[in-house]
Amino acid sequence: MVFLLRRFGFYVAAFICAATFNFLIPRLMPGNPIDTMFAQSGTVLPPESLEALKKTFGFLDVPLPIQYLHYLGSVFTWDLGLSVKFYPLTVNQVLMRALPWTLLLVLTSSLAAFAIGSLAGARAAWRRGGSFDSFGAPAALMLQAIPPLVTSLLALYLFAISLKWLPTGFAWDPMLDLTWSWESVWSVLYHAVLPVVTLAMAQIGGYLVTMRNSMINLLGEDYITLGMAKGLTDRRLRLVYAAYNALLPALTSFAMSLGAVFGGSLVTEVVFNYPGLGYTLYEGITSRDYPLIQGQLLIMTLAMLSANFIADLLYIIVDPRLRRA
Amino acid sequence: MIRKIIAAAFVALLPATAIAESNLTIVASLSTGWVRNFNPFNETTRLHSVRDFVYEPLVIFNSMHGGTPNFRLATDYNYSGNLLKLSFRLRDGVLWSDGQPFSARDVVFTFEMLRKRRELDTQNIWDRISSVEATDPNTVVFTLKRVNTNIAFEIVRVPIVPEHIWSKIADPVTFTNDNPVGSGPMTEVRRFTSQIYQQCRNPHYWDTQDLKIDCISFPQVGTNEQLLTAAAAGAIDWFGAFLPDIERTYVAADPAHFRYWFPPGGTVAININFDSPTPGNRAAFRTVNFRRAVSMAIDRRAIVDIAGYGYPTVNEYASGLGRTYQSWTDQEAEKEFGQYAHFDKDAARALLAESGFHDKEGRGFVANPDGTPISFTILAPNGWTDWVNTTELVAESLNQIGIDARVSTPEPASWTQKLITGSYDMAINGYLTGETPYRSLDMGFHSRFAGKTRFAATRFVDPELDQSLDAFISTIDPAAQRQAMNKVQMILAANMPYVPLYSNPIWYEYDTKRFKGWFNSDNPVARPDVFDGTPERLLHLLALEPVKP
Repeated sequence: MVFLLRRFGFYVAAFICAATFNFLIPRLMPGNPIDTMFAQSGTVLPPESLEALKKTFGFLDVPLPIQYLHYLGSVFTWDLGLSVKFYPLTVNQVLMRALPWTLLLVLTSSLAAFAIGSLAGARAAWRRGGSFDSFGAPAALMLQAIPPLVTSLLALYLFAISLKWLPTGFAWDPMLDLTWSWESVWSVLYHAVLPVVTLAMAQIGGYLVTMRNSMINLLGEDYITLGMAKGLTDRRLRLVYAAYNALLPALTSFAMSLGAVFGGSLVTEVVFNYPGLGYTLYEGITSRDYPLIQGQLLIMTLAMLSANFIADLLYIIVDPRLRRA
Repeated sequence: MIRKIIAAAFVALLPATAIAESNLTIVASLSTGWVRNFNPFNETTRLHSVRDFVYEPLVIFNSMHGGTPNFRLATDYNYSGNLLKLSFRLRDGVLWSDGQPFSARDVVFTFEMLRKRRELDTQNIWDRISSVEATDPNTVVFTLKRVNTNIAFEIVRVPIVPEHIWSKIADPVTFTNDNPVGSGPMTEVRRFTSQIYQQCRNPHYWDTQDLKIDCISFPQVGTNEQLLTAAAAGAIDWFGAFLPDIERTYVAADPAHFRYWFPPGGTVAININFDSPTPGNRAAFRTVNFRRAVSMAIDRRAIVDIAGYGYPTVNEYASGLGRTYQSWTDQEAEKEFGQYAHFDKDAARALLAESGFHDKEGRGFVANPDGTPISFTILAPNGWTDWVNTTELVAESLNQIGIDARVSTPEPASWTQKLITGSYDMAINGYLTGETPYRSLDMGFHSRFAGKTRFAATRFVDPELDQSLDAFISTIDPAAQRQAMNKVQMILAANMPYVPLYSNPIWYEYDTKRFKGWFNSDNPVARPDVFDGTPERLLHLLALEPVKP
């Protein structure tokens, strides 16, 4: 219990530290939102107009420490303010628009990669040296080494442009209204196939190798030999006895990758025109939309820290040896 | 039973006999998701289909043909004898899309609203006008603060909104105008999602017999690559983008229907900072022969072909005027100084040598006559690949004549900031176009702008230049205007405060499969692009009609 409380306190401190960085970093970049807004227009606004505009967006030219205090307050009340680039939407609205799609994309691909990678890794370790191990593991690693940009573009070109089997972009057919009807759901799934598959393929290799290596370490253990002697089926031994125990490292890396989910996946979203958080953040940065950048960095920080915390908890739950400590 | 089923299936498969609505698909801006903001004054998120299509201008001045007026909501305009009053005569019988009549009251209301809420006055028009009044329901008179014959062009850029709607809203700055009431051809918002939205025909449009299209729709596209993917699949009718190797990447997908036309637009030039932060560079930059040598070292033709894929138009004007405004050319200026805008590496080296720039320390690069080194970076905005490649070629050319130059590519917001604050040595920059050369030369070189916008980044000031620019707008006599513009060109040619490279292409691509009547080199009616900021796109829309299947 004390252990948990200590961990929790650590995370709160880390959160405040990260929030401070989130505040400082966008403001260190040269340029400001109002100038960027008018960069293309060629007009000079009189000072009163600039002041009035700044007030509308909430940038009062108060000194930095006061801005920081405002910011901390807004963090704890979750009032993230108005977005500059996507005015008049609030930052919450902008992020909520993109969040479901990011979750669909990244969660699905991570889960799929984790499941497939771990099962394949278990198989490869069980028959190590066999054909699946010799070809499958290097192949998966090679796939992982190819940058996601390349695989996305190749997949887009092959399946969407040349063969025309799958759509070239969007999260759902623009002609449809998004409801819970079968047509809408089918459209969403149909449009998600390419992005999810290309993202998943880039991650399988990692999980496969992690699982394989930790399992190979276990295979010499006594309880495996006992199981074989007892006459348990290959499958049961492989999955329930060996893989389950080898799961721990894979599980923690999976929990950590969940934290990165909220950063979106910029490359995939750009290639497939998928309305997720990654591209939203990129646009916020180029137009110096401080409230949006702050809001999204905040969410990413929270997600990362929570994922860490959950990984800690999971360890305690899954590994009985730790409970005694 | 079976026959009934077959008959039903047959009927279901029959094409609908109702007349199909024509729908033009346009991409006028890149976005990651549409926000429903039809407020024409908002700079960041207004949709790029609000001006011109929802709110029609009073007059459209045809920039491609010397600024000749095409009268829309106004039928005439006149300056008073002393040039301090400008009156517009409005058209009879124009209605807003909700059926209410349009009158001078709406024009006066709009301008008064801009005066009260200066955040809406994005052109800062009240800096130049002192009052606006309606002398009768069809006449509006603007009183100017000083003589300015360019003001008509600036006034018509302000969108006119209906008084009976906008006078009732609490805050016009944050108003999102979800269901706009407008005077233009496409005011009805039929559908709006973050992925696509559609505007349809104004039921009370005054020029409805010229409008042959029912709806325009705008799919969301995030980047140039996505745009190309969609366009090559035949999903977009009208758009504008820089597509590298366009014959292969776009036209080849459907050579019978995909077309493009890139007429010359604004000048792209290398800006030289007269107030450079490094003393050595500043001394060199302030020497006219150094600037001339820089200009002669650059092979503009090669840059256009390599970096621009041949799309831009070479600009070898000593004054930087550009082919866009060739009817205004001052032949004297070009005769006297034209040599400095032509590619001649040997002459460049010779000019540097005879002006005292020598490589004293044997570094391989020249230094100032007094020995201080010259070494600088040329900025180009990251991601604008054609400009970045152009800048790289320029830096290479300068290295070849012995000048130590490198390229740096900060991201666009940072590049803009550096130009405005003056913390740069040289940078590539592009200028806006106007109905006459006045707009781009004024915003580039008049001393009142120096250091305030990204366009006035050179910080070159010359009182005579200011005088000539002011003289241009103080008269409506064409001969006097020409004389003033000649003087402007002579001063620019003699001093060469910037090094013009080429005229940026106007990006314009179109698909002739479903619609015809497109502007192109055989039919050069007006500027053909669909971007917000080109009011001629309204004329283009009216010229289009569906192709009969």
